[in-house]
Amino acid sequence: MSAPGFPEMTLTQTLLIAALQCIAVTAFVFVLVPLTTFAERKVLGYLQVRLGATRIASGLHGLTGGLNRGMWAMGKVPVLSFLRGLPFPIADVLKLFVKEDIVPDKADRLVFIIAPGLTMVASLAVFAVISFYPGVLFVFPHWVPILGGCPFAGTAADVNVGLLFVTSIASVGVYGIVLGGWASNSKFPLLGGLRSAAQIVSYEVPLTLSLLAPVVMAGSLNLRELARILAGLPLMDASGQLLTQIHPLQSIPLFIGFFIYLTCGFAETNRLPFDMPEAENELVAGFHTEYSAMRFAFFYLAEYTNMIVVSAMASTLFLGGHHLLPFGLQRVIPESWPILGTPNLLFFVGKIVFLLFVFIWVRGTLPRYRYDQIMAVAWKYLLPLSLVNLFLAALIRFAW
Amino acid sequence: MFGGTEYMEINMGPQHPSTHGVLRLKLKLDGETVISCEPVIGYLHRGVEKICENKTFFQGQIWTDRMDYCSAIGNNLGWAEAVEKALGVTVPRRAHYIRTLLAEFNRIASHLVWLGTHAMDIGALTVFLYTFREREEIMDLFEDFCGARLTTTAFRIGGLGQDLPAGFEKAARAFLARFPACIEEYETLLSENRIWKKRTIGVAKLNAEDAIALGVTGPMLRAAGVAYDIRKAFPYAAYAEMDFEIPTRTEADTYARYLVRMAELRQSCRIIAQCLDGLPEGPVMAKLPKSLKSEVVEIYHPTESPKGELGYYLVGEKGGTQPYRFHVRAPGFANLQSLAPMVEGGLVADVIAAVGTLDVVLGEIDR
Repeated sequence: MSAPGFPEMTLTQTLLIAALQCIAVTAFVFVLVPLTTFAERKVLGYLQVRLGATRIASGLHGLTGGLNRGMWAMGKVPVLSFLRGLPFPIADVLKLFVKEDIVPDKADRLVFIIAPGLTMVASLAVFAVISFYPGVLFVFPHWVPILGGCPFAGTAADVNVGLLFVTSIASVGVYGIVLGGWASNSKFPLLGGLRSAAQIVSYEVPLTLSLLAPVVMAGSLNLRELARILAGLPLMDASGQLLTQIHPLQSIPLFIGFFIYLTCGFAETNRLPFDMPEAENELVAGFHTEYSAMRFAFFYLAEYTNMIVVSAMASTLFLGGHHLLPFGLQRVIPESWPILGTPNLLFFVGKIVFLLFVFIWVRGTLPRYRYDQIMAVAWKYLLPLSLVNLFLAALIRFAW
Repeated sequence: MFGGTEYMEINMGPQHPSTHGVLRLKLKLDGETVISCEPVIGYLHRGVEKICENKTFFQGQIWTDRMDYCSAIGNNLGWAEAVEKALGVTVPRRAHYIRTLLAEFNRIASHLVWLGTHAMDIGALTVFLYTFREREEIMDLFEDFCGARLTTTAFRIGGLGQDLPAGFEKAARAFLARFPACIEEYETLLSENRIWKKRTIGVAKLNAEDAIALGVTGPMLRAAGVAYDIRKAFPYAAYAEMDFEIPTRTEADTYARYLVRMAELRQSCRIIAQCLDGLPEGPVMAKLPKSLKSEVVEIYHPTESPKGELGYYLVGEKGGTQPYRFHVRAPGFANLQSLAPMVEGGLVADVIAAVGTLDVVLGEIDR
């Protein structure tokens, strides 16, 4: 498959580009996840009138001690003390790598080992279809061997059922949690696994329904097209024929849908106030109580990766994706304007970062729901609300 | 199907993030529903009462610090007054005022620990840090006064070891000026928070009748509508001269206890302000004989600790320098007995809320 306007690529080139795109997306996730954990420490810290992580790389001893001592000697505040805490994620990962990997004696060994990988892979695989930039991000210059002149697209796999792919793959992740809780053969993880099975399955319903409203408006499942249409911009075909554009009134269901989706997203990622499966004050650590070392890290990484997935999906569908304004309001800015009127990778990433901040912010503010209340929220409030929202979107689409 | 139901037995604690120390709960669960709950205590038993029987009246106070370590000064006060009653010592009025003042500061500190941990158990992480910010200031005041922050041993038999240090009154007044805004800050995070209300209203109910039958005292009892407060019922220290109210609610649930304790924070501020305003001049230590010898006495001295009725039972022998028999009626011990009736039939998450609302400190329960 080749982007329009570019010569047909050879098989080698296609494969290489695909591999590079996979690496780029994975790198994006694995850079953003540690930064999110760092941000969580810092943001929660400042919300809670404390400093958060400070104790790495700002001291007078250890690896960076020489630099810090030197800068103090020169009468300057060491440059690292402004970034202190930033190496914490690296230290965390190192620690988790070298820790002993314990598999409980009575655990179902095979399932116990598979479960974290399942959750992790499911959350990572979603990034294949997420559109970071519509069209070509950059073209390899001609001096690059083999790849010279080849385009590097902003979407790893520009498939036309992207949204379907996301919802189906993301829901595989719950298997890891349930199986992990079950295979531990321990009481607290079992309770955690049962809770997450019920919770995530329940929230999948309003979550998917809230995603359906944008689909009804746009008539597409391709995330790149969805982002453009839902930003309020017209979608043209190659000859300049108008294919589809949403009605201005669609901003209302988009606005409501955003909050439904975000609420369900909190539940899907097991974050406060819906962190039932791992409610630390009730179930110790929930489904991953028995996990240690990298297997625990997989669950941990998967949680943060899922946060990024939810943020990316919310930003694609509701917040205007690569465009500046959310909820289909981008139409007020002419496309001829520089920067503001054009799609931008930074807009997309910026929205993800903002939503990640919201995740942390909510964690610092709200208490936790009780298990039965969480179910009530899903079935009694979110489900009817998302149905009404879907109806509203369909009404606007077909009445005007 | 297979017929028959099997319940899951689960041990919550003694190593568990939210059992406040080393409380162990044997829970029998049917899914998420609690069928039975049995608290198992004794993991922190040190034999404080027996130890005190082998210590002189002066030395015993150190052990009272280590009972309810969140309100050491309140414990010290009860011990000092019980011993003074036994020995027939009259304490100067100024010492009474300072003792009252410090005990009320301690009540605030203890309630702040309760609020922080209770909120954290229910998932509101931030409140904990906010309450500890204010508790820190109170701990600094204690450190100013007696050099220790947690295990204070603040008093002497017969009065105080020292008068208030210079600058104490100013710092205390600064705290009083700032604290009401802090209470409001906690309340903005919790009082009208829908999730907080859902988690606490109607949860772990204990009506007045059951509470009295189980010997429950303190905010737990007052939240059930019984205005029983030792500070009013059997005034000690300088409480008879203080003007304050007993906050009560009638709902008898976790939310009502939360409201009662928040109101008590404000009442404590009132008492402290009155102590500071009306602080009489004079000595802080009574004239004592060289060697303290008791008569044949039997004393029960109740005090109002932040958790409830903290009673000191003391038997003295003729010419004895140590208690012949010593027993503590710990409020936490009696209150913990109400846990099972409060949570049975509820959900696992409610157990956490109930343990939080009990305000258990295992140091005092196990002694």
